[in-house]
This record gives sequence, C-alpha cells and structure tokens, in this order.
Amino acid sequence: MSRPAFSPEGVTFGVCLVALGVLGTLANLGRIELLPLLRTWWPLSLVLWGVLELVELLLRRSSRGRS
Amino acid sequence: MSSQPFDSQSAPASPGAPALPPPAAAPYVRLPKSPGLAAFLSLFPGLGQVYNGRIARAFVFFFAWVGSIYLTASGHEFPFAFVIPFVYLFNIIDAWKGASAANARFLGGRSEPEEQPEIESPVWGGSLALFGVLILLNNLGWLDLDRLARWWPILLIAVGAYFVYASLQARKAGGSADEPPRL
Repeated sequence: MSRPAFSPEGVTFGVCLVALGVLGTLANLGRIELLPLLRTWWPLSLVLWGVLELVELLLRRSSRGRS
Repeated sequence: MSSQPFDSQSAPASPGAPALPPPAAAPYVRLPKSPGLAAFLSLFPGLGQVYNGRIARAFVFFFAWVGSIYLTASGHEFPFAFVIPFVYLFNIIDAWKGASAANARFLGGRSEPEEQPEIESPVWGGSLALFGVLILLNNLGWLDLDRLARWWPILLIAVGAYFVYASLQARKAGGSADEPPRL
C-alpha cells in the first residue's frame, strides 16, 4: 500500500472553508446574498472532492509506477 | 514479575522436582483509541472522527448529514432521503475503522498518523464528481432530477453489474472470488 499524495477530503475542506470565508465577507459587505448562492452552488464541493480523489489516485499510481 | 499470584497449574508435578519459573507476563499495552467509543460517539455524526483526530472528515460527515436532512425537508426527497441513512451508518463504520487503524499503527510502532488508502479504483472519485455535477445541473435548472426519480433502480443494476464484473476479474487474476470488490 503506497502513501497518498495528499488528503482529498482535507484539501476540499480547506478550500470550502476559504470559499465560505470569502463569501461570508462579501455577504457582510452587502455585495452578495449568501444563502441563495450556497443553495445553488454547494454541489461544487462534491465535484471538487471527486476530482481531487481522482487526481490523488492518478498521482499515487504514477509514483508507484516510477518506484 | 514477582507479583504473580501462585498458580496451582504451574506448581511442580512432584514434590522433588525443581520449580519452574513462571512464564513472563505479556506487557500491558494501553491502546490509544477505543473503536467502541469512536462508534458510540458517532451516533452524533462527526464526533467519532473528532475523537480519532480526523477533523476534516468530521466536518464532511456532519455537513453531509445535516445537508441531506435539510434538502429532504425542503422538498428534495429524492435522492437525499436515501443519503441520510447511508451517511449516518457510513459515519459510524468509518469512526470504528479509523480507531482500529490508529491502534494498528500504534502497535506497528509508527507514531505518525499515516493514511492507509483503501480506495484503489476511480469509481469513488468519479461517482462523487458525477453526483455533484447532477445536483448542480438540477440547481441551475438545466436538469430535473425529479423526472429521473423513476429510474433510480438503474443504479442498483449498475452497482450489481460492477460487483459481478469485479468478481469475474478477481477470479481471472487468481484472487478469491468471495472477496468483495473495492469501490
């Protein structure tokens, strides 16, 4: 069993927190409506998580192929 | 250990024979995590993962659980009513397995937490991304998931077909056909 290249759920969680922070700040400044935006776009977090899982798998396979 | 109590079974068979030293007791090792406690804490989704020190995973489970309840309550029974029990049970099993893995690492002499990835197939990542894209398209009004609701048993057919395919591949590769395929 090879080591993972990175933790997909950790990266997803971090990116989502950063995005939430940015969106929360913009909402507090009156630039956007936070809740309707989140209700529409939250599945992007699933897409990001899934894509990162695939990327991590590819990186792990390529590093195993090199060693 | 000198504090071993006298055991009649370890006493010499005859009064004239020399007394054998008592067998050395195995050192008591306190394991760092309790899988039972982790599973119990997971009755509140995410808490078992916090106990295991997997904070990101804890948030993922918590928000998946709360989000699917919210979406079910707001009129999206399909597919989120199915997701609620899945997330809940998966969260308990994940906490149990996480604590067991931490104990195994401890007994193996490794103090650094190390991921032991069990997912070796692109099906998990691909399914997550596809699920996200479908819900996003539904939210944007480009797809009506409610119209697809009657077709959900096709998912069962696809998963079943994948299991059959993976079992046949395992048999071809010389492995055990009884071993469940990895998703």
